[in-house]
Amino acid sequence: MSLSSVFLKTLRDYRIPILGWGIGMGLVVVSPMASVATLVTTPEARAQLASLAATFAWNADPVAVTTIGGYATFKIGVFIFLIVVWPILAASRMLRGEEDRGSLDLLLSLPRPRLRVALEKLAAMWTALLAMGLLIGLIVFAGGRQFGADFGLGDALLFGLDLALICAVFGGLSLLISQFTQERGPAAGATAGLLLIFIVLDMVHRIAPNSEWISRLSPIYYYNLSKALIPSYGVNPGAMLLLAVAAIGLGGIAVWLFNRRDVGGTVSLPRWLRLPERQASRVLPVGDWSLRSVYARSLSKIAMPTFWWTLGIAGFAGWMVYAVQLLETKMSTLLSGNAGFTQLIKNIGGGDASLNAGLLSAMFVFLPLFLMAFAVTQVIGWAADEQDGRLELVLATPQPRLSVLLGRFAALASATIAIAAITLLVCAGSAAASGLQLNGGNLAAAILGTIPLGLLVAGIGYLASGWLRSAADTGLLSFLLAFWFFVSFIGPELNLPDVTLRLSPFYYYGSPLLNGFQLASILGIIAVGTVALALGAVRFVRKDIGV
Amino acid sequence: MTAMIEVESLTKSYGSKRGIADVSFRVEEGDVFGFLGPNGAGKTTTIRLLMALLHADAGSARIAGLDCWKQSLEIKRLIGYMPGEPALDPDLTGGQILEYFAHLRGGVDQAYLKQLVERFELDTSRKFRQYSTGNKRKVVLIQAFMHRPRLLVLDEPTSGLDPLNQQEFDRMVKDARDEGRTVFLSSHVLSEVEKTCNRVGIIRDGTLVRIGDVAEVKAIKRYEITITFANVVPADSFKSLDGVLEVEALNHGQGVRLTMQGPADAVIKAAARHPVVSLTSYEPSLEDIFLRYYEGDGPRAAEAHHVA
Repeated sequence: MSLSSVFLKTLRDYRIPILGWGIGMGLVVVSPMASVATLVTTPEARAQLASLAATFAWNADPVAVTTIGGYATFKIGVFIFLIVVWPILAASRMLRGEEDRGSLDLLLSLPRPRLRVALEKLAAMWTALLAMGLLIGLIVFAGGRQFGADFGLGDALLFGLDLALICAVFGGLSLLISQFTQERGPAAGATAGLLLIFIVLDMVHRIAPNSEWISRLSPIYYYNLSKALIPSYGVNPGAMLLLAVAAIGLGGIAVWLFNRRDVGGTVSLPRWLRLPERQASRVLPVGDWSLRSVYARSLSKIAMPTFWWTLGIAGFAGWMVYAVQLLETKMSTLLSGNAGFTQLIKNIGGGDASLNAGLLSAMFVFLPLFLMAFAVTQVIGWAADEQDGRLELVLATPQPRLSVLLGRFAALASATIAIAAITLLVCAGSAAASGLQLNGGNLAAAILGTIPLGLLVAGIGYLASGWLRSAADTGLLSFLLAFWFFVSFIGPELNLPDVTLRLSPFYYYGSPLLNGFQLASILGIIAVGTVALALGAVRFVRKDIGV
Repeated sequence: MTAMIEVESLTKSYGSKRGIADVSFRVEEGDVFGFLGPNGAGKTTTIRLLMALLHADAGSARIAGLDCWKQSLEIKRLIGYMPGEPALDPDLTGGQILEYFAHLRGGVDQAYLKQLVERFELDTSRKFRQYSTGNKRKVVLIQAFMHRPRLLVLDEPTSGLDPLNQQEFDRMVKDARDEGRTVFLSSHVLSEVEKTCNRVGIIRDGTLVRIGDVAEVKAIKRYEITITFANVVPADSFKSLDGVLEVEALNHGQGVRLTMQGPADAVIKAAARHPVVSLTSYEPSLEDIFLRYYEGDGPRAAEAHHVA
């Protein structure tokens, strides 16, 4: 039944992402709800939370942040990029990815119009997004009920629909761009770049006065006009309609272009936009350093993703350091008339290192998570390479299997260290530029302490790939990350026992910005990672390749 | 003669799925050995066991006197390998792939490598993903030959190559043989093995059913000739001719389909006595030959004594 049409077959392919992203994103939205109750115990605390949120208005509109729905809406503002990743990847694979693999040729040889094939695939993606939105809505509603929120099922479902619509817009954009690229990677990359630009454009009107017209150029602006989890604010039907029209328009143009171009080719660009014709060559790149060993090749392969992840992680961390300075200045102004806060006012403004560390520590919780996510994206390539037969010829050369595995691991470790080191430099620079006093040793511990966490994930990934195929390996590592994050950041709110909290590596990472380098804990993480890698290596050396 | 490959009772299964069972053979140094079998017979499993990509359940495999699993590194220094389904980094150019493997392997003569690139007229500047199937195989073929290995292990090497490049491949195998190197190649095309190899092993359903000189394979090679005449010609007139095994009348007597084994000289001469409209020759696939030749268990049992 599920293979009886292109639509159903494509939808079947999406069943795991629907569940994974739907449940995962639902939990991401629910997680801040758990902490609202503890943040707003007194009227003063409410006022402080509202004031704090106002200082982060660059991130999201601080509307009714002292309510559960309002706080969740505010907190997930910056996570829009996470939610939109799947449709960007799925849409770039939808036609271009299948053309790359050659599987579309066979499908289009069937007596079925090309337009219909493309439309069925697009419809399947939209259906998947709606299913994800539904799942997110249901989880958010359940979470809201659990923590006593004032929004209803309809509001939660509208929230899911708004998410599905913004995802459909970026999916459509990715599909459209993929009509102009020879491979799917550049299409996904260009769309991700546009996503970042649109996020920044949306932020502009919250930072600079009289700049709303700039933000209107971003689809995220229209997504943010609806705040379904805040019943007093509600949704903006016009904005949602606009997103729906944009999604249909972008997808429709993409499908129309696909129907007119060569399969395997691209939409013809004007002559002045085309790259120069490439001349055939018989030259060999004799001096290329990246081809000299498995390590060098792996490092070269990982270089571009490392660059983008560094930009994101170091940029995030550097901005957080700067944001603490902004936050303290704002608090200083707000509290200056309150006699009870006299001592506090003396401390804030960037001059008290322990207060700075306390504020920054709360924001830095995502730093190890980001580095671990980077490790996941890279380590799953190992399982995919074996599964797709790309290791076969390498292992037919006189290179020991152990060297091949360790070469790959060493490249990933080098990239992880580079990201952390650059992040540390950026944070130190940001602190110096903004005049924020921080304990240098603790800052180094907080950032460099993320390296063992990244390598732990890599070690577990190599171990799991000894038995699991690429998709299962990805699923397992993603689940572990989500589980650890949930245990460490939601667990205390749910009064989970200490033994459960200790299952998460975040527990051992602790709060190094406040407490400095925890040598025993870090050594423990390194030991577990080393054992996982050693077991993975033993398995790889003995196993049948590609079976 | 010295044995380059010695396989003894080699067995491999994939859980409940069959791999190969109790396979034994020997390839002498300097031989060009064709490993024949229909799709799924166990050719690739045998080759991957030789390359230490798989671990045998039982039996042993030795190359140049070295154990294929325990001494795989030493063995891989001697071997040039071409897998049946080449998968390489799609973002590397053909030139980058060749240089990368030259470094991993070591001891590659760059001048010889350039010569091979010229010989196969490979455009080294294209990414692997952009190559046609034939060009992908050229890249993998060049990397197998580039270090002048003592033993070439090639899994269906000419699949996807155009006729010109197939001829170039034949010349390279001949050069390798003339230089005293050993070639172990798998194929499911009988005529290819017949043309290139001096010894042949035939595997079917994971079991080696025949091994010997290439001339012995000709004993099982059959082909069909279909002749259409302008007039009615009695089919019986072809029955007693040399090489004819079976005769079938077509088109109400105006054509014949002959199942042949051996030279067609007598048939051509007999057909020439009548006005011929068309003549086509068809070589059945190995599967077809096996289906006919190895029908039931009887013939297989009868051939068992050929297995060395």
